[in-house]
Amino acid sequence: MHPQEDREIVREVLNGKKELFALLIHRYEDKIFNYIYYMVKQKEEAEDLAQTTFVKAFFALRQYNRAYEFSTWIYTIARNVCLDYFRKRKKEDVDLSLNVTVSEDGDTEMGELIEEDHSPDPLRTILNEELRGKIEKAIERLPVKLREIVVLRHLEDCSYEEIAQIMDLPVGTVKSYLHRARKKLKEWLEEYLE
Amino acid sequence: MDRKEEKLICYLHSLPRHEVSVDFAERVMEVVERKSRPYAFFKKRVVAALACAFLLVMFVTSWPIFPRLEISRYFGYRKIELVFYSPVQNPKTVAVAGDFSDWNYLDMEKVKENCWKITIRLRPGKYAYGFLVDGKEWVPDPSAPRQIADGFGNLNSVLVVDGLNGE
Repeated sequence: MHPQEDREIVREVLNGKKELFALLIHRYEDKIFNYIYYMVKQKEEAEDLAQTTFVKAFFALRQYNRAYEFSTWIYTIARNVCLDYFRKRKKEDVDLSLNVTVSEDGDTEMGELIEEDHSPDPLRTILNEELRGKIEKAIERLPVKLREIVVLRHLEDCSYEEIAQIMDLPVGTVKSYLHRARKKLKEWLEEYLE
Repeated sequence: MDRKEEKLICYLHSLPRHEVSVDFAERVMEVVERKSRPYAFFKKRVVAALACAFLLVMFVTSWPIFPRLEISRYFGYRKIELVFYSPVQNPKTVAVAGDFSDWNYLDMEKVKENCWKITIRLRPGKYAYGFLVDGKEWVPDPSAPRQIADGFGNLNSVLVVDGLNGE
């Protein structure tokens, strides 16, 4: 992370050097895209939403409170963009409430999504395609809030405090939701965790 | 945390990270640029329209736009000094009335024997006026080049105000 530099860049952009905003995009594009991708599970949609996130961030830059991390702020915008997307699509299988359990969704594009992964990290090649597909499908089955927390914590490596800020929840609630999410995942992936 | 949970977390951390296309930042900046332009154009037009409206209000209306700074007098008003040499010997009071005062009497100041003056602020235009001597005798300005009948058998003088310093 580059917290101090981020703030410095924001200051410069606000002073008229708007081309410097590209530096912030380069810095966070993959993280934001990855977060949105695991939320919406469609690559093209995810890239469009990531673009919307950065454009919104640019025009809201004056509202950015420099007392906080830029990364947290940009995640918050991405989150709102995702929630808007879900509302607009009125997806029946997207549950915006924690009370409703899970959606039963097909595993349509899973195969091609896995093939699109060109990650050089050897750790990630450990998972075979079948298991990877099952885990992604299980994440997708989680209600939106639980899914968000799992993605932010285990894929984006955010701290509990950062997640609490992004989602505007108390840290205790974040931990509790994460516990519930893992419990669900364990239940659904039982046979692979033996 | 049990063994299954540890394994689950390990799996989650091992999931692939996806990357945006190479020209992503470039495309975002293009959108930003495109969206900035209409806004800047709109902003310029609003500023220009407000400036025009302000000038219009300042020059066309008589509203005191800058009452504290008294700037408006340099733009809209002229300072006019009316001097009256009385044909009546040693009057006690002299007042002036005209279009500019809605025919209310404005007391004049005595400068010397038979000479009275008053300073008023007027916008450019043509005004009928006259002097009231000792509160009873209506006298047109003897020094005014133009006079006009008041419709009641008397004469009023005509004051024309123009130019920067007035008349």
